[in-house]
Amino acid sequence: MFSLQNQLELRKVTISSLITCIYLPSIITVISYKGILYSVGNGSSCFVLALIFVAELLKSFYLNSSSDIQAKKNKANKNIAGDILRGFVFLLCVKFTFFVGIILFGAPVLDCHEETLMLSLLLTLLTVFPLLLHTGVESSLQLLFGIRNYGKNTVIEMLVNNALLTVCGAWVGAVVIPLDWNTPWQKWPIPCYLGAIGGFVLSNTREYILSSLNLTQESTEPPIPEYNLRQKT
Amino acid sequence: MKEKWNFILYLVWFAYLILSAVLMFGHGFLLSRKTLSDVTECVPLDNFGCDGHENSTVKGYCDEEEKIRRIVAVPGGPLACVPKQSRVVFLLVDALRYDFTEYDESIVKPLPYQNRLPVMREMLDRWPDRTRLYRFMADPPTTTLQRVKALATGSLPTFIDASSNFAAMELQEDNIIDQVTRNGGRAVLLGDDTWSRLLPKRWLRSHAMYSFHTWDLDTVDNEVDAKIYDELRRDDWNLLVAHYLGVDHAGHRYGPNHPEMTRKLDETNIRLKKVISMLPPDVLLFVVGDHGMTENGDHGGESKAERTAALFAYRGAGLAGTGVDLMIGKEVQQTDLAPTLSAALGRPPPAPSLGHLLLPVLPQASKSHTLLHITNNLKQITQYMIRYGEESQQVSLDRLAHLINTTREQLHKAASIETDDDLNNYAADVRALVDNVRNVFREVWVEFDSLSMLRALLLLLLAIFFNWLITEGIPMERLPNVFASTFVPTGLISMAVCIGVCYTAFYFKFLEDLEHAIILSTGLISASVTCVLIIMHWDGIAQRWYEGRSQFYERFARAALAASAAVLVSNSYIIEEGATLAFLCMTVLGLMAWNIGNFTALLYWIACGVAFAATRSYRGCREEQGDCWTAGAGVPTGQSSRPALVLGMGTVAAVVAICRRHVGWRGYCTVVAGLLACSHWATGYGSLGSPSRAKLLARAAWLVLAVMLALLWKREGRGATLPLMAAGLMLFVANTLVLGVSYAPAAVLSLVLACLALNIVARLKSDGSTKFSLATRCNSSVACMWALLASYAFYGTGHHATLGHVRWAPAFHAGDPNYLDIGPPITASLVSLELFGTMLAFGAAVPLLALWGQNGAAKVGPRTQLAAVFSLCLKFMLCFAIRVFACAISATIHCRHLMIWGVFTPKLLFEAGACAAALVGTVFGATLVAWHLPTQHRSS
Repeated sequence: MFSLQNQLELRKVTISSLITCIYLPSIITVISYKGILYSVGNGSSCFVLALIFVAELLKSFYLNSSSDIQAKKNKANKNIAGDILRGFVFLLCVKFTFFVGIILFGAPVLDCHEETLMLSLLLTLLTVFPLLLHTGVESSLQLLFGIRNYGKNTVIEMLVNNALLTVCGAWVGAVVIPLDWNTPWQKWPIPCYLGAIGGFVLSNTREYILSSLNLTQESTEPPIPEYNLRQKT
Repeated sequence: MKEKWNFILYLVWFAYLILSAVLMFGHGFLLSRKTLSDVTECVPLDNFGCDGHENSTVKGYCDEEEKIRRIVAVPGGPLACVPKQSRVVFLLVDALRYDFTEYDESIVKPLPYQNRLPVMREMLDRWPDRTRLYRFMADPPTTTLQRVKALATGSLPTFIDASSNFAAMELQEDNIIDQVTRNGGRAVLLGDDTWSRLLPKRWLRSHAMYSFHTWDLDTVDNEVDAKIYDELRRDDWNLLVAHYLGVDHAGHRYGPNHPEMTRKLDETNIRLKKVISMLPPDVLLFVVGDHGMTENGDHGGESKAERTAALFAYRGAGLAGTGVDLMIGKEVQQTDLAPTLSAALGRPPPAPSLGHLLLPVLPQASKSHTLLHITNNLKQITQYMIRYGEESQQVSLDRLAHLINTTREQLHKAASIETDDDLNNYAADVRALVDNVRNVFREVWVEFDSLSMLRALLLLLLAIFFNWLITEGIPMERLPNVFASTFVPTGLISMAVCIGVCYTAFYFKFLEDLEHAIILSTGLISASVTCVLIIMHWDGIAQRWYEGRSQFYERFARAALAASAAVLVSNSYIIEEGATLAFLCMTVLGLMAWNIGNFTALLYWIACGVAFAATRSYRGCREEQGDCWTAGAGVPTGQSSRPALVLGMGTVAAVVAICRRHVGWRGYCTVVAGLLACSHWATGYGSLGSPSRAKLLARAAWLVLAVMLALLWKREGRGATLPLMAAGLMLFVANTLVLGVSYAPAAVLSLVLACLALNIVARLKSDGSTKFSLATRCNSSVACMWALLASYAFYGTGHHATLGHVRWAPAFHAGDPNYLDIGPPITASLVSLELFGTMLAFGAAVPLLALWGQNGAAKVGPRTQLAAVFSLCLKFMLCFAIRVFACAISATIHCRHLMIWGVFTPKLLFEAGACAAALVGTVFGATLVAWHLPTQHRSS
């Protein structure tokens, strides 16, 4: 049973990270073909975030669609509208935290608020939002502050890893800003924005490779117990 | 506790190793060109025979025209004096930028420096044939001494001269003043005494005045005005040099965007009008700026605004030149002025000159005279190239030979000049050729002594590597034993032996360069002594490294320091270093806070972030940064605004009031010094203030600080924490005094940042026992974080690593030290305290990182405590040594880079200064700890 559960989770992780590896780069490719890659910092390119939002939402439906009846019952008991509201407020808080954090790290204090806001929105969408959808407000808070350990839960592990690498990607993206190359993509916040997306995709690729390796390993393993079983009978 | 002073001696030893290697690198890197004492001579026309040879045997009579043709036809002959000469008035308006001289009616609201010299435009409109206005391009470094040298000799000044700006020495090379006086001509000097210090005893009359009272806008100008009109009426001089300083001083004190600049420029306008009206028609007038200024009114670098000065020429009887020569604002080089001036005075160009004649600013001359001038110019340059090739191998011989041959070919062509068109073409060819020669020399005169540079790099590397092994390798519990042994005395004695041997060899003339030999031998012997120590303790090192595993934040902090040093190779990161350091500091502190993992740490970290964000408004702006530069950030703060005064006084008073409770009875000194500093600012503020009383108060504050320094050494037997904090506060107050009221809040913010970082470090998680907690506290990551913070504080207090950003005002805040005998050292120490005071304070506070707080080392026995402090101090010093090493490496790599003099060299200089300040501060702090530690009780 446990192995089956694990297998299921692994498959989920593999497929969802594969989907991410496909949909995010394709969004970036499309907008760069449209020539609006360098306006991702403007409010007008909000639709990119909307697309990511929808994609993450769909992904989370897939991730949450567990056969676990217990969990379904739990969810049904709760007030959905209240949950959504609380989640929304939580996301807002996280976004504000990101916003302040980015400014503390060196973003302009008095201007470029729109750009910083877009970046913090993206970071929220890529880091906390999937976690929130998967586990809910309380446990994502606990996970964030390291109070709860995610143990052997591969999906949550994947989500937390994604979040960490996304933030690292945004951090690394800032490296190119001071260079005097005068290219359009050095404008705030494009390097960090693309860095965050790059970190997210990188993390997902890593997850995909690791989990698919594990999957193939486990799918080669089963014949042995089966053989044993037959011998017993 | 006999190892107590061995620790300190070792720190001093290490500081000596690093600083001497840096000094050696500087000697190799900041080399000057070779100065030749040659003098150009010319032979009067009468001494030539009609065949064009000197003292020729061919008798007969020929007219001058014919003779000159013959002389020109002999390319190898000596220079011939041009018989025609005119008198020259040379008005040097210091820092006359080109756009000060422009006049544009269409500007509705002119800036304070715009449209202030209408006399030039008026003259240009009325008499275009008598007047010229050009852009006069200076070569870097754009400091007055170098510019005066360049104007007088026509050569290219080199960077090393910049260091002798405060002690101008006599010029060793041929120059226009010597050329004038050699021929029996006379020169008169009015104004800046740089000229008389460079060229003493050459003047018929000299009214030179001290030039470094940069806050005095009028004295020199008024004195010159009082004399110049009398001088203009006389005719016993050939060259009148008048050097006005008002515009430059207005720029230094207030910046160009200030009504004072308007006043000085208006004065200049009236002065020019009067001079032109009094000028006899046959006298040439040159009005020249020696350099420009930045938007802050500073100069010294190589930005366009600093390099573009103005050249205005006027002659009542008309000037030569047609067509494109008349164009206003054409770019001419400052090197061209010396040959031009000497041609106007009827003399050959000075020997080291690398300029060509500016014919359009010379009087109309006959074709033969012009030709003679041009050939003289060519002959002088050929001679200089030949002599330079003999004396130095800087320029490769092939290249030099090629250039010499080209100039000789050009000289041969001179005989075939017939028409005016020919002459014009010929002049253009010569111009191109001389420009070419000049560029070749310009490229090469940044010549480095690569051998001593490489040796210095090697010494730095050895010192850093072995000391890194000592701090990171040798286990902490072994340190007291190591330093109680004969290790340090052995090292010192071997160094003394080295110095003795070197000196003996020098005495018996086996050695030429004593300093170089001493630095090299002591560096190598220290490296070998430390190497022996490492080998002896290799078992401990290996064991420690085998057992040790570090946490992520520790590795990250080390990587951050390495990254902050590595990016010094890139000019963009040097330019934006303030932001980079803040970013890295924030990340390192954030990871430390994450490691602590409670709410207080998070709050401290956020407070750090807020403090970083607040210092951003004090960060300066350099020209390369573009955005903030064009937006006019950091526009002249000659006088701080009222809110800035209130803010500065308020924050300093608050800090003093809060901190005094925590440093015991020494707090009273802090309070008195802080209050004196505040009253110094308040009294000196605005037009109602009394500068003399303000200066008195500042002196009183310094006196209190000196008393405080003395009181630091009073032993109480209560550990070193309190005296250390008092020392930090003392340095803080001293720093605010020199920073001035407008930057005092920035110093306060640095202090706040330091306190927050201290608190974060004090809360770092450790494995429980004091031994492990000490290992955490003395971790290299803590030292790295502290070094990053200290480096950031340089930018956080409004500095930038450019020569233009050095503020001279602090030297004068307590009166003018130049009236004293010991003026120059006081000026230098005040200015360097202003620049690197924060590093000094951070260095002195390093021991606090180990001692401060609940789980600090203050509880453990004095031996362990001292070992902990020592290892932390050495790590901190190593961090700065690594940064200097990276700077030196990047200067070596980029020695032919476009921005080497604009970005990399200033960064190297400032980083070396910062390193020296940090080392001195650390040694000071460590000494304080050693002094205050109670002696070991054997019984316990």
